[in-house]
Amino acid sequence: MLKDVYDYLKGLGGHGIFFCFTGYISQSLLTDFGDILEKKMAKDNARKTMVLRVFYMVVEKAQNILRYSAEKIEMGDETLSFGLIAVGKEDNSYFVLSGNLIHNDKVEKLRKKLTKIQEMSKEELKKIYKKQIRAVPVEGSQGSGIGLIDIARKAGRPIEFDFEKINDEISYFSIKTIL
Amino acid sequence: MNNLIIESTKYTPEINFDCEKDILEIKGKSYPENTSLFYEPVFSWLNEYLEEIGDRHVEVNLNLILINSSSAKVLMDFCDLLNEAAGSGKDITLNWFYEKDDEDGLEMGEEFMEDVESLKFNLVEQVI
Repeated sequence: MLKDVYDYLKGLGGHGIFFCFTGYISQSLLTDFGDILEKKMAKDNARKTMVLRVFYMVVEKAQNILRYSAEKIEMGDETLSFGLIAVGKEDNSYFVLSGNLIHNDKVEKLRKKLTKIQEMSKEELKKIYKKQIRAVPVEGSQGSGIGLIDIARKAGRPIEFDFEKINDEISYFSIKTIL
Repeated sequence: MNNLIIESTKYTPEINFDCEKDILEIKGKSYPENTSLFYEPVFSWLNEYLEEIGDRHVEVNLNLILINSSSAKVLMDFCDLLNEAAGSGKDITLNWFYEKDDEDGLEMGEEFMEDVESLKFNLVEQVI
C-alpha cells in the first residue's frame, strides 16, 4: 500500500501537479486552498490576474463538486462532497483539474452542454454568458448555471472533459482547464 | 429605516449600507455556496431604500475581488435594479473598483457598464 502512495505521487508530479486534494470537500476548505495557492504562485512570480483566475477555477469546480458529486454527506447547513481538485503547470501554463462521481442519468445532459461550450468561440461564449446571467435561475438550484460557461471564457484553451462509466449507476466525470 | 451592516467572512463581503450618508458599499470577496441566501437581505433593504430616497444623490461602491459565477449573477441583478431606479429619475452613481492587476475584475466591470444606460457607472482602478 505504501508503495502505491509513492507511485501516486510520482504520477502527479510527472504531470506537473503541485497541489492536489482528494477527499471530502467543504465550502470552508476553499479559503485554505486559496491561501496555499496564492503563496505558492507568488513564489513562482505568477501574475496577480493568474493567481486570481486559478483560485476562481478552483472555487467554481469545488462548488460544482459540492452540488453535483454523487458521493455526498448532508450535515445540517454543511455539505461534504467527495471529489478531486488539482492544480499544476505544463508548458508554462497553469491548469486546474477536477473530478467526481456522477449519476449516469445526468451524464448525457452534461456531456451535451460541455461539448457545446467546447466548440464555442470566445465571442459566442460572451454572448451566451450575457444571456444566461439574466435568465431566471431554476427554482431550488443554488447555482447560477453560468459557471461552466465562465470557466470556458477564462480558460486559455478549450476545456477538456471525460466521462468514465463505472457501473449501471455511476460514472467518473473529470474536467481540465488550461489557463 | 436602519443602516444595513453585515460583517465580512472568509467568503462573503462586508456590506455597509448607510441610509443617512447615502453611501452603499460592498467590499471584499464573494464566493458563498448559497449566494441568494447571503444577498437576500441586501436586496430587501435596497428595495425599501430606493422607495424612499426621493431626489437625494446616492453613491454605490462595489469593491470586490474573487467573485464566483453565482455572485456575478446576483451583482448583475443588483446593477439592473439600480439602473432601473436611475431610469426612473433617481440620482445614483455606481463606482466599480478593481485592483490594478486584476484583469478579470476590470473586464467584469466593463461588461456590466455595457449593459446600463441610465446609471452613472465609473470604473476605478486602485493600486494596492
